[in-house]
Amino acid sequence: MPLKILVTAKRVEDSESKIKVNPAGTGIVLEGLKFKINPFDEIAIEEALRLTAKHGGEVVVVSIGGKEVVEQLRSPALAMGANRAIWVNHVGPMDQLGIAACLQKICEKEKPDLCILGKQAIDDDQGQVGSYLAEALGWSQATFASKEESLESEAEKSKAPAIKLSADGKSVTVVREVDGGLQTIEATLPAVATTELRLNQPRYASLPGIMKAKTKPLEEVTPASLGVDMTPHITVVKMTHPPARKAGIKVADVPALMDKLKNEARAI
Amino acid sequence: MALPPAFLEALAAFPADLPSTDAADLARYGTDWTKVYTPNASLLLRPRTTDDVSRLLKLCHIHRVGVVPSGGRTGLAGGAVAMNGEVVLSLERMRAMHPVDPLGQTVRVQAGAVTEAVHQHVAEQGLFWPVDFASKGSSQVGGNIATNAGGIRVIRYGLTRQWVLGLQVVTPTGLVLELNGALEKNNTGVDLRQLFIGSEGILGVITEATLKLTRLPEKVDVFLFAVDSLQGVLRLFEAARQGPFTVMAFEFFTDKCSARLEKHRGLRPPFEQPSSHYVVLEVEQAKPGALDAWLSMLFEKGLVTDGTLAADLGQAKALWTLREGISESLSATGLPHKNDIALPISRLSAFCVELEALLAERYADWELCLFGHIGDGNLHVNIMKPEALSKAEFLERTHEVDRDVFAVVQAHAGSVSAEHGIGLLKKPWLGYTRSPTELGIMRQLKAVLDPHGVLNPGKVL
Repeated sequence: MPLKILVTAKRVEDSESKIKVNPAGTGIVLEGLKFKINPFDEIAIEEALRLTAKHGGEVVVVSIGGKEVVEQLRSPALAMGANRAIWVNHVGPMDQLGIAACLQKICEKEKPDLCILGKQAIDDDQGQVGSYLAEALGWSQATFASKEESLESEAEKSKAPAIKLSADGKSVTVVREVDGGLQTIEATLPAVATTELRLNQPRYASLPGIMKAKTKPLEEVTPASLGVDMTPHITVVKMTHPPARKAGIKVADVPALMDKLKNEARAI
Repeated sequence: MALPPAFLEALAAFPADLPSTDAADLARYGTDWTKVYTPNASLLLRPRTTDDVSRLLKLCHIHRVGVVPSGGRTGLAGGAVAMNGEVVLSLERMRAMHPVDPLGQTVRVQAGAVTEAVHQHVAEQGLFWPVDFASKGSSQVGGNIATNAGGIRVIRYGLTRQWVLGLQVVTPTGLVLELNGALEKNNTGVDLRQLFIGSEGILGVITEATLKLTRLPEKVDVFLFAVDSLQGVLRLFEAARQGPFTVMAFEFFTDKCSARLEKHRGLRPPFEQPSSHYVVLEVEQAKPGALDAWLSMLFEKGLVTDGTLAADLGQAKALWTLREGISESLSATGLPHKNDIALPISRLSAFCVELEALLAERYADWELCLFGHIGDGNLHVNIMKPEALSKAEFLERTHEVDRDVFAVVQAHAGSVSAEHGIGLLKKPWLGYTRSPTELGIMRQLKAVLDPHGVLNPGKVL
């Protein structure tokens, strides 16, 4: 049974860039920063591509933001192999409720069998959208999708999907990471799944893929055209760096080290 | 070699922690990354000032004690090895860096400053010292300059020589020379500074340098291509030369190299189909529209079979690791015999045909790991020791291979050492690249500066 899968592609700061809080403490300095796709979303796209490679179907990728997010929609999202993109053109503040509402409206129109989202984005680490979306649609949700095999396993090398579609095509089996172990659940479709880092190793976009992505369909919509009010319910009040680590010291010899461990650090 | 008692007595005038005879120290400081030589140093000296260096060299000169200058010891030609009871003079305590001069785009540092530390120091001003290679976390400025080090961005920036304005050098008799200061232009007679750059520590010890800096590169794209032959790598290079961008690096490696990297670290090129040759291309400021046309042309003309473009900094780093990790993985998974040769770029294609034919005919069962910069005419020819051969047999056989390979290099007017230097390892082959007349003049220069031949004895000449 072919699957229609909707995935997200959030544009986030590249974690290899140097991130600084602005002097007012209200956000980060954007000047000179590099951007990339949220790595959890990249894993979601990879999983969707593996599922449609096996079962047939279509992968639709969505991103919300100004025109710069088209960059991540084209590459890596469409370049990796997603079939088409929907760009929700929105400049200005937004929060997780607004984002989930946009996705809900798109799902109501597109009617995917499965939505796969990153379990969180690496910029604000909110981790709310997947659950809001499942709740708004009244769909089953499978959070923190992972898999039994390691990322070095043969199963991973063969690019088999870790999310398994049942024989009748009515549900998916998802392995979840829980404290100290794994839990396997079955979720009735349509469903929302969110991805863990251990779900898969995303492919690199090939150059032919990157070139083909430039002409793949990309539909532009706005929150207004979707009927969504993006006024945030949550605002960021303050941002700070973690306290700087104190410089280390050199001790003269082993007894001095033992003394410090015992009496200062109280580690032994 | 027992050191003269008078020399040892004179050392009492220095701080107590300056000399060391600790066995672990001697083993560590007596060798470099070349690995084939057994270290045998008799004393380690770690001075803190140029005055210390001057007084120590003068003592070595007076007492005729051989002394090996020592930096990060990441060299691959045995240039920093002490194997005949020499004294090792390590510059590692002299690692101070002065503030950057943002207007002149220069920085003055001591010779023991680690390359990567210099990069971080100047990056705060948006500047860059474009001497960059895999061992930058250990290599030191003094060693980089003494070996005129190359690396992965020579095609864009040239060798270390281009990025040194001034030098402070101590001669083997203890004289301190201040050469050229921070001057960009200074046409006042013979430029003595250039004598010491690339001299591999046989003419003097570099103690400080004024480095020339440039702006940090911006908007860099990193590609990995799959190509089906060495000739294909050269055709791709020709296409890259004419591409709509500035080439920062053009590096290639073979599937034999990537197999060693996979065995050692589990890393492999991110393509569906394996290929025999891979190219890492790094470019600056590609023109977007023109770049698309150039990439399409590569596939239409069949110049590449597959390719990828790093989508973020993490992917760029990962693609670079496929190339930069090779040297370490070869050593970690076997014993490589390394050659570092250079050809005029126009002769590379003909040379590669002959090299492949020679190796296929004479050494068909040997594992050959070929990689290199190619964009600047530089090939790293690595031959791995077969399991069945002992180390001694292997080294003897590689001597034959070297002779054959260097004969081809000589026929194509190439160099037996592109960037690693001569040191001990390439000494037998120096005559394949430099004429007897040239070698005679080098010996005379050495005798003028170092009449007793105490500095880095036995190296190069």
